[in-house]
Amino acid sequence: MRGLAKSMLTTLSVFMRPPVTRNYPNVHRPLPERDRAFPLLLWDKDIDEPFCTGCHACERACPVECMTVLMKDNPNHKSVGGTSSRRKIIDKFWIDYARCMRCNVCVEVCNFDAIAMNNTWSGHETAVHDRKDLVMDLPQLLALSRGGAIQEWVPVLGKANEA
Amino acid sequence: MPTHLLGLNTWLDGLVRVLLVVLLMTVTAMLLIWAERKLLGRFQARIGPQRTGPFGLLQSVADALKLIGKEDLRPRNADAWTFELGPYLVFVPIFLGFVVQPFMAGFHIRMLDLGILYFVAVSSVSIVGWVMAGWGSDNRYAMLGGLRSAAQSISYELPFVLSLLSVALLAGSLNIDDIVVGQAGVPNIVWQPLAFMIFFIAALAELNRAPFDIPVGESEVVGGPFVEYSGIRWSMFFLGEYAGLFITGVFVSAMFLGGYAWPFGLQLGIGFQLLLTALKASLLIFLVIWIRGSMPRLRIDQLMGYSWKVLLPLALAQVVVNGFVLVYGLPRIVLTIVGLAGVVFLVWVTERAVRRPRVPRPAAVALGSEAAS
Amino acid sequence: MVTESAHEFETRDLLLNVGPQHPSTHGVFRMVMQVDGEVVRDVIPYVGYLHRGAEKLCETMDYRQGIGFMDRTEYLASMNAELSYVMAVEAIADLQVPDRAQWIRMILVELNRISSHLMFMGAFGVDAGIIGTPMIYGWREREAIIDLFEEITGDRMMFAYFRPGGLAWDVPTNFAARVQEVIAAVKQGIKDLDGLLTYNEVFLARTQGIGVISAADAIDFGMSGPSIRASGVHLDIRRDEPYLKYSEIDWNVITATEGDVFARYNCRLQEMWESVRMVEQCLDRLEPGLIMPEKMPRMLRTPPGEVYVRTEAPRGEYGIYLVSKGGNRPYRLKVRSACLSNLQALKQMSVGQYVADAILVLGSIDIVLGEVDR
Repeated sequence: MRGLAKSMLTTLSVFMRPPVTRNYPNVHRPLPERDRAFPLLLWDKDIDEPFCTGCHACERACPVECMTVLMKDNPNHKSVGGTSSRRKIIDKFWIDYARCMRCNVCVEVCNFDAIAMNNTWSGHETAVHDRKDLVMDLPQLLALSRGGAIQEWVPVLGKANEA
Repeated sequence: MPTHLLGLNTWLDGLVRVLLVVLLMTVTAMLLIWAERKLLGRFQARIGPQRTGPFGLLQSVADALKLIGKEDLRPRNADAWTFELGPYLVFVPIFLGFVVQPFMAGFHIRMLDLGILYFVAVSSVSIVGWVMAGWGSDNRYAMLGGLRSAAQSISYELPFVLSLLSVALLAGSLNIDDIVVGQAGVPNIVWQPLAFMIFFIAALAELNRAPFDIPVGESEVVGGPFVEYSGIRWSMFFLGEYAGLFITGVFVSAMFLGGYAWPFGLQLGIGFQLLLTALKASLLIFLVIWIRGSMPRLRIDQLMGYSWKVLLPLALAQVVVNGFVLVYGLPRIVLTIVGLAGVVFLVWVTERAVRRPRVPRPAAVALGSEAAS
Repeated sequence: MVTESAHEFETRDLLLNVGPQHPSTHGVFRMVMQVDGEVVRDVIPYVGYLHRGAEKLCETMDYRQGIGFMDRTEYLASMNAELSYVMAVEAIADLQVPDRAQWIRMILVELNRISSHLMFMGAFGVDAGIIGTPMIYGWREREAIIDLFEEITGDRMMFAYFRPGGLAWDVPTNFAARVQEVIAAVKQGIKDLDGLLTYNEVFLARTQGIGVISAADAIDFGMSGPSIRASGVHLDIRRDEPYLKYSEIDWNVITATEGDVFARYNCRLQEMWESVRMVEQCLDRLEPGLIMPEKMPRMLRTPPGEVYVRTEAPRGEYGIYLVSKGGNRPYRLKVRSACLSNLQALKQMSVGQYVADAILVLGSIDIVLGEVDR
């Protein structure tokens, strides 16, 4: 019975410590900078257009084929009197959040740093009533960055810390 | 309690008492469910219910409302009478056992001269209810659970009754009030430590609580005899279990810890007596919940072997020693000495049943240098 | 099936279906037990409920895309699964992994081993009968480890952090301090679990002497990991075929002799202590440096060849057999699953035991269905 007494003393010592419950959803714990929820597109504030040019690199790289990308000629390009140096710009972009497996490959292959993973709580709280609502279109994907509400973290592949 | 409440005639008086029992037991069971969830939560490093009402106190009410709203299902091939009467036979006998519990001097529903006999007889009727629930559900898991429960309850009845018998021998009466009043000077646990331990273990087994909760082993037979029940019928089992827990708390404190009489209960009036009863019952209930949070469950054959081979012989020995001391007029301290020796023996036997764990020895020897097969 | 005993009674065995939805099958796993009273006479396991075609899918993925799929086979010890995969690619493509990446890989792999064993403690305690307490004690510390992984890799379970050649990105600058915090919390958690379970007489009565498998039988079934070390076989791939930097630090292989359920549990508990020691030593040896070889191509192409690489996952030998015909995708990728081989011994270990013990035996093999079914 001494073993039973030891078990009971262990549970009593845990009883005396404060509980480890976090009171979600009243309290959201702070997410780390590198947290990786679903992908979203970034907005170029200086020129007021998306970074994404619709080059299909991420669409090809995605293992589960969750993206559909369409590009168009940029109406804001310098050659037609605009301010941007991007000849093509994104026209339509759909990401199916239900298929995305958050593997980060799209972020790594993007040549323009135009796509990043959402590291805020809105990326985790994506419950909807109908599965069709999980297919995000371009305005929805640009919304967070356009509103300035995100501090994205885009890693440089294979780069070591400075000593 | 006065013999006739409010001067009513006998039948109405009885009806009022019965309603009092039902009300008190339901409220107590709901309170105990809340207390268990909170306490188990703290043992497990978490908070229990906290949102429904202040401190989650209304959680049991919310659960009861939800259960009332559920559909009352019955499997098509289930035996209608057995299935539907089973839950009633589980919790009604426990409510009946409430009748002889001593809360304060003079305040009980009806104190019977054969109090202990009545209590034991009535609480064992719930075994029939478990078997009916198990058989009537037309489900293999339920049948397994029901049979296990019956075997367990029957095995632990004997140490249960024998330890009560040793207390009754000391007091010379089966009337629970007499036993409590007789402990005004010294509680019975001083004279009968072994009987207390045996009774506590047997009471845990009778209540189907950990470590003896194999009939309701959630991870094996997924609920045992309850598995086909839903809604209010299902809640009747739990009402019975928690009401039984409350009754056990009060009963054990009455039998062994002095009830409302020790210390100074009889001199300081009924307020203090109620406080004493509440305190002792709460302590025992806390102990039972603490045990539930700390121990795995025993297998059915280990459980029955423990009862028949360890608890029963020791309980018999306790009764025989009591008899010797009373007949030959030996001083009562002999009881304490023999009781403590018995407790040490019980602990030793329980430990001897398992091997002490050996720390596995770390080996830095490579595979090739030892024959692997 | 009708069995006759003593001429008067004719008893019939009961077919008890455990799963696929059941609190103690650790995933979608189905067993049909033929039970005579309470004694198990036969166990027929049915696997395949979680088959997702991971191996075939990887044939259409290049080497970076496939890492996500390897995570999802052994989802409780994803670092180990990724490690086998990237080591196989490195072996075929002949890549040299820098030292810093090796040490960081070791730390993460051992932390993942601790978190996997903590998960085992939780599930096993619930099987034994304490509802909730060992689960929360184990998960409280697992939460600390997983929070650390989230800070490093971004994800709590499917890390996709290792790449052929090294790591995807470097660890944050407060890595050493964070690992020390996690180790301190983990030590307290292992102490709690140890005090709760190992000496408890009821737990010992439930787990000693049941589910015994002898060393010879275990080798015949091809078992590996703590399940076989508990039967007395001194087999640990980290020592016998050292990879990463295991030959450069001081650690012990934990074995036991009884081969019963308690020995398997105890081996895992002691392994957690060993992993803690290993992580502390690796932290001391960690130095700044590269995490990927210089001049890594954007799209890795491997020469033709085939290789079999195995590592010691928490559950046993997790092997990857990779066949490449040139190009950036595998021609054939086969996952040698530790749990599937360990599971074959289930019938031998359970027949003759009681139903309650058979559940405990299944729990003690510690299966994760993602790996069994891939």
